[in-house]
Amino acid sequence: MTTVVALLGLLVLAVIYVTWTAGRLDRLHARVDAAWAALDAQLVRRAAAARAVAATLAPGPVAETLDAAARAALEAGAEGREACENDLSRALRAALPLPPDSAELAELETATTRVGLARSFHNAAVGDTRAIRLRRIPRALRLAGHRSLPQFFEIDDTAMAQ
Amino acid sequence: MRIGITCPYTWDVPGGVQAHVRDLSAHLIGLGHDVSVLTPVDDPDEADLPPYVLSAGRAVPVPYNGSVARLVFGPLSLTRTRRWLREGEFDVLHVHEPTVPSVSMLACFAASGPMVATFHTATARSRALQVFGTALQPALEKISARIAVSAAARRVVVEHLGADAVLIPNGVDVARFDGAQPLPGRPPAPTVVFLGRIDEGRKGLAVLLEALPELVRLVPGVRLLVAGPGNAEDVREAVPRSLRDRVELLGLVSDADKPSVFASGQVYCAPNTHGESFGIVLVEAMATGTPVVASDLEAFRRVLDEGRAGVLVPVRDAGALAAALGALLCDPPRQARLAASAREVVRAYDWASVTRQVLDVYETVADTAPPAGHVEVDPELDTLAALLEKGDGTDDDAGRLVSTLRRWLADRPRLADRTRSSEAWTDRS
Repeated sequence: MTTVVALLGLLVLAVIYVTWTAGRLDRLHARVDAAWAALDAQLVRRAAAARAVAATLAPGPVAETLDAAARAALEAGAEGREACENDLSRALRAALPLPPDSAELAELETATTRVGLARSFHNAAVGDTRAIRLRRIPRALRLAGHRSLPQFFEIDDTAMAQ
Repeated sequence: MRIGITCPYTWDVPGGVQAHVRDLSAHLIGLGHDVSVLTPVDDPDEADLPPYVLSAGRAVPVPYNGSVARLVFGPLSLTRTRRWLREGEFDVLHVHEPTVPSVSMLACFAASGPMVATFHTATARSRALQVFGTALQPALEKISARIAVSAAARRVVVEHLGADAVLIPNGVDVARFDGAQPLPGRPPAPTVVFLGRIDEGRKGLAVLLEALPELVRLVPGVRLLVAGPGNAEDVREAVPRSLRDRVELLGLVSDADKPSVFASGQVYCAPNTHGESFGIVLVEAMATGTPVVASDLEAFRRVLDEGRAGVLVPVRDAGALAAALGALLCDPPRQARLAASAREVVRAYDWASVTRQVLDVYETVADTAPPAGHVEVDPELDTLAALLEKGDGTDDDAGRLVSTLRRWLADRPRLADRTRSSEAWTDRS
């Protein structure tokens, strides 16, 4: 009798642990989703701002490269996104110094700051989520369900640090 | 933007975090945002609370780690925190020092949605984190953005929480200090200013007093203006009898008088020996336009831009301190140059710039409507807290616990639905 009660107790504890961890993972994935949405929005904003700045530059190879890099970044799919955003950072750096005191440049500077912030928050969320997901029990019980393991987003976004 | 801020320490007790929350809130309100601050208050009738501050109740003093920690924890504070979250309908929740057992930690447990946390502590080892680290993790991992006020605080966050934080420094109201007038009725003599507790060893007044005889030899008319609470008699004892009339002790000065104290000296001296994580006093002196001579501590080196905006001297070296102070007092052009570069540096610490940076963080985490949404009371905690509130200690509580658990388990599929609906955002292809 005692054994049965003890086993039942253990079972209840196990169920609570599993549901609680699943809920925790659920929450973490929601945080990653929100962080990615923010990062995506800021990357798009940066690319759009870069195109606007490119339009204000004197026609020439620098303006053309910048515009092309910004367009490529806007059109990039999930696969090539990091590489395209890196190219854009590089094109922005090559275009420095940009003509000061324009609304386009101010928007680009804000967007670049936000990209840095959003990327840092996104990668923190990914790090927290992976730390739990890669533990033994959540992995063995597939507590994360069908969701793919979140990936870090690594680009050089220091281009505008003037 | 509707912003909810929690301050973990008692509002009517002076302190760095309280001052930070007060100034940040004032500047956010100045920019037209809706701010509500939840904080422990000892005496709501006496404290003269600003309209945006809501009391979470009294903090309970608990002796801890050699000093007294004032904690807020319990069903009543939890109830108030939840009501504040529910009624505030915040776009973003900003908790300060969520690892301190107080309202910030409660808010972390009780909320969900866009959350920002600022870490102030630079103490390398946090007892709370060591003991409760694992238990706190689920609450701390809800935080969408972490801010550290100094490089040292950032290191603590990385070491303890294994995640990076964005560096946004403490703010200073530059306009309040810039152009301050000297204290009236003081003799016109070359003056060195010291500000800080005079009986706290790490503030380093002893080093400055040790340097005084040599400094008097270099600059015969020099005077020392010492502002800060502590036992004045001990300070007099430490000075040779013949030099005592050169040391002016002001005692504790009010916030309003601080700019004038800095403006009364040709040099501000910060001979601290250790344990400084930021150096807000240095920034205040620099904002006044008073050149700074400070110990070569990591935090000070950063504020003084590696020595370009002030003079750095070896820590605890009275001889070097006297030489540096003497040389600077005799060189007005260099004073002007240092003051000019200091003014450049302090612009980054002006509340206008700091508030802008904090808002950048808010807007980054709260701007994305569909997945981020509003700050809400965490449904998971809701059931648990409801139980705590209604529980009257009778046998019936057990039955209620079981039914609550059952309801909680039944809620799981709904949570799963919610994630699936936001799945579109993860799908990057």
